[in-house]
Amino acid sequence: MSTPVSRPSAAIRVISGLFHQPYVWAIVALLLLLVVNLTKNPAYLGVSVNAATGNLSGNVIDILRASAPIMMIAVGMTLVIATRGIDLSVGSVMAVAGAVSMEFMRNTGTGSFGTAAVAVLLALGISALLGTLNGILVSIVGLQPFITTLVMMLAGRGLAKVITSGQNTSATNEPFRWIANGTILGFPVVFVIAVLIVAVLAALVRRTALGLMIESIGINPKAARMAGIRPVGILISVYIVSAVLAGVAGIFSTASVMTVEVAKTGMTAEMDAILAVVIGGTSLAGGKFSLTGSIIGALLIATLDKTIVYMSIPSSATPAFKAVVIVIICLLQSPRVRSMFNRRRTRVITARKETVPA
Amino acid sequence: MAPTSRFRAFTGLALAGTLAFSLVACSSGSDEPAASGDDGGELTTVGFVAVGPEGGWRTANEQNIQDAFSKENGFDLKYAPSSNGDQNSQITAFTSFIDEGVDAILLSATEATGWEDVLERAQEAEIPVVLLDRGIEPNDESLYTSRIAPDNVGISASAAEWANEQFPDGANYVVLEGPPGLSVVNDRNKGWDEAVADNLTKLESQSANWSTEEAKSVFETMLKANGNDIQLVFAQNDEMGLGAALAVEEAGLIPGTDVKIITIDGTQAALEALAAGRLSFVAEYNPLFGDDAIEVVNAALAGEDVESSIVVPSTTFDSPEAATAALPDRQY
Repeated sequence: MSTPVSRPSAAIRVISGLFHQPYVWAIVALLLLLVVNLTKNPAYLGVSVNAATGNLSGNVIDILRASAPIMMIAVGMTLVIATRGIDLSVGSVMAVAGAVSMEFMRNTGTGSFGTAAVAVLLALGISALLGTLNGILVSIVGLQPFITTLVMMLAGRGLAKVITSGQNTSATNEPFRWIANGTILGFPVVFVIAVLIVAVLAALVRRTALGLMIESIGINPKAARMAGIRPVGILISVYIVSAVLAGVAGIFSTASVMTVEVAKTGMTAEMDAILAVVIGGTSLAGGKFSLTGSIIGALLIATLDKTIVYMSIPSSATPAFKAVVIVIICLLQSPRVRSMFNRRRTRVITARKETVPA
Repeated sequence: MAPTSRFRAFTGLALAGTLAFSLVACSSGSDEPAASGDDGGELTTVGFVAVGPEGGWRTANEQNIQDAFSKENGFDLKYAPSSNGDQNSQITAFTSFIDEGVDAILLSATEATGWEDVLERAQEAEIPVVLLDRGIEPNDESLYTSRIAPDNVGISASAAEWANEQFPDGANYVVLEGPPGLSVVNDRNKGWDEAVADNLTKLESQSANWSTEEAKSVFETMLKANGNDIQLVFAQNDEMGLGAALAVEEAGLIPGTDVKIITIDGTQAALEALAAGRLSFVAEYNPLFGDDAIEVVNAALAGEDVESSIVVPSTTFDSPEAATAALPDRQY
C-alpha cells in the first residue's frame, strides 16, 4: 500500500522542486521553442540514421552539436560571475585558441593524431595563459573584472590576427575534424566531450567546498576572507577555468569547418555566454550559481538560433532579440524592480482585506 | 532662485564660449603643420580607410592597394583597417585623415549608409575621396570623386544565367547573404533576382555574415527544414559557399551532384574546391585594381575630370578544368 502512495508524492515533490528552481522559465521557453518548430513540421523532433554516413541525424542532434561551444563558455562564465566578476574575453580567447591550433596544423602539415593532440594542447595552454593574466590582474592587482577582460577581449582578437597574420587560416587534419564532426555511438563528439567536462567540473565544485568558497567570495569578499578563505587563488583559478573552457569552445567551433576566421570566430560569444548564465538563474550580482541552469540556458540559445533559421525568420534580428531578453531578465533580478512587484502585490492583498468586511 | 539660475546660465555660456575658443585655437594650430608638410614632402599622402581582415578576397584587395601606392610610385599610404568591421572606427579614421590634411582618401566602407557628414567635411577640406569596392547609400555622386569596383550586379546576373542553363526544368534554391545593409549584398541580390528564371524557386534567403562556420550551421538547418529538397545554393561569397559544401557533405549528400553551389569572389580556396568538384560555379570579383586607383587619384589631384564609376573587369569559372587552369597563377 505504501509504495503506490509514496511514488506520486515523490514525483510531485520533484516537479514542485523544479518549479522552485530559477531556471524553470528557461525550460518553459525551451519547450515553447520546440512546440513552435513542431507546428511547422510535426516530425521536427524525429531522429533517424543517415543512410549515407551511418550517423544519427536530426534537428535535435544539430541543436546538441551547436550547444556544445556555448555550454563550455557558459559554464566558465557562471563560475566567474559567481565571484562577482565577468569575463568578456571568452570570444577572443576562442579565436586565439582556434588560430593557434590551425596555424600549427597548417605548418606541421602531417594529418596525424599526434599533430591534432599537440594542437589541442597548444590551444588550451595559451588559453590558460590568457586566463592566468586575467586572474592576476583581477585578484592581485585589483583591477575591475569588466575592464580587465574588456582589455583582454581587444588584445586577444589582435593576438589572433597576429598569429595568423590577419588571414583566415585553414588546415586539414582528420582527428581534429572528428572532434567537431564525428560521432560516438551516434551522438556528436562535441556534445559528449562537453557533457563530460561539465560533469567533472560540477563534481569538483559541488562535491567539495570549492563551490561554497566561490559563492562566499561573490556574496561578501571581506567576510569570506575573515572566514579563512583565500580569494586570490580561487579568483585566479576561476578565470583560468573560464579561459580554458573558452579554448575548448574555440577548438569546437574551428574544428567544425577546419578554418579559423579571425574576425568572426567567437564574435559576440561573450554575449551568448552571459545570456545563458542569466537565463539559468545565476544573478549577475554574484553569489549563488547554478551550473544546471547555465547548461539549460546554453541549450535554449542553441535552440533559438536554430529555430530562427528553421522558421525562415531573417537572422539579422537575432542579436537584438537576445539583448532584449538579457535586459528583461536583469530587470526581473534587480532588487528594486522585485520590491516594486512585491509592493503592488501586497497592496492588492490589503485592499482586498479592506473590502471584505465592508 | 532667479539670480542663481541666471548666474548658472551665465557661467554655462561662458564655459561654452571658452570651449569654442579653445577648439578654434586647436584646429588652427593643427592646420599649420599639415600645410607645411605639404610643402616639404614630394610624396603624395593618401589615407586608406580599409575594412581589415575579413576573408581571402579582402586581404588580396587591400594588399594590392598597399603594393600599388608604394613609396616608389610617389605615395605615402596610411593604412587604417577597421576594428572588426565596425563603421564607427572607420569614421574616426576618416575624420582624423581630414584633420591631418592628407592629399586624398581611399574608402572601403563597411556599411553603405551614414557617410554624408564626413564626406561633406572632406569636400570642404578639398580632399578627393575615392570609393574602393563598396559604394555608399544613398548614392550621391557629388559627395565623392569616383568609385572603382567590379560590377556586382553584372557578376551575380552572370551566375544566375549559368543557373538558368543548368536547371532548364526548374529547381529549388536558397541564398546565403552577407550582413544586411551592405551595398554589395543589395547589388548581388539585385543582379541575381533580375536575371534568374521564373521556374527556379527561391525557398529562403538568410544571412550568414560572410562566415564559413555560420553558413555551415545555417545551411544544415535549411536542408532539414526543406527535407533535403534544395538543388542550388547561391552563396554571396566564397567562404559561405565552402561552409554550405561542408553542410552538404555532412548530410550525406554530394556537392555538385545533389546540391550545386555558386559562389562569388574567386579566391584560391574556392577555385581549389571548384577543381575538386565541391563547388559548381565561381564568379570572380576581381580585387586587383590598385593601378586603376592610382590613375584616378592622380587625375583628381591634377584637377582633371574623373568618371564617377569605374568598372573592373571580372571573369567566371564554370568547370573544374577552368579552375585547374587558373589556379597556378592565382594571386589571392
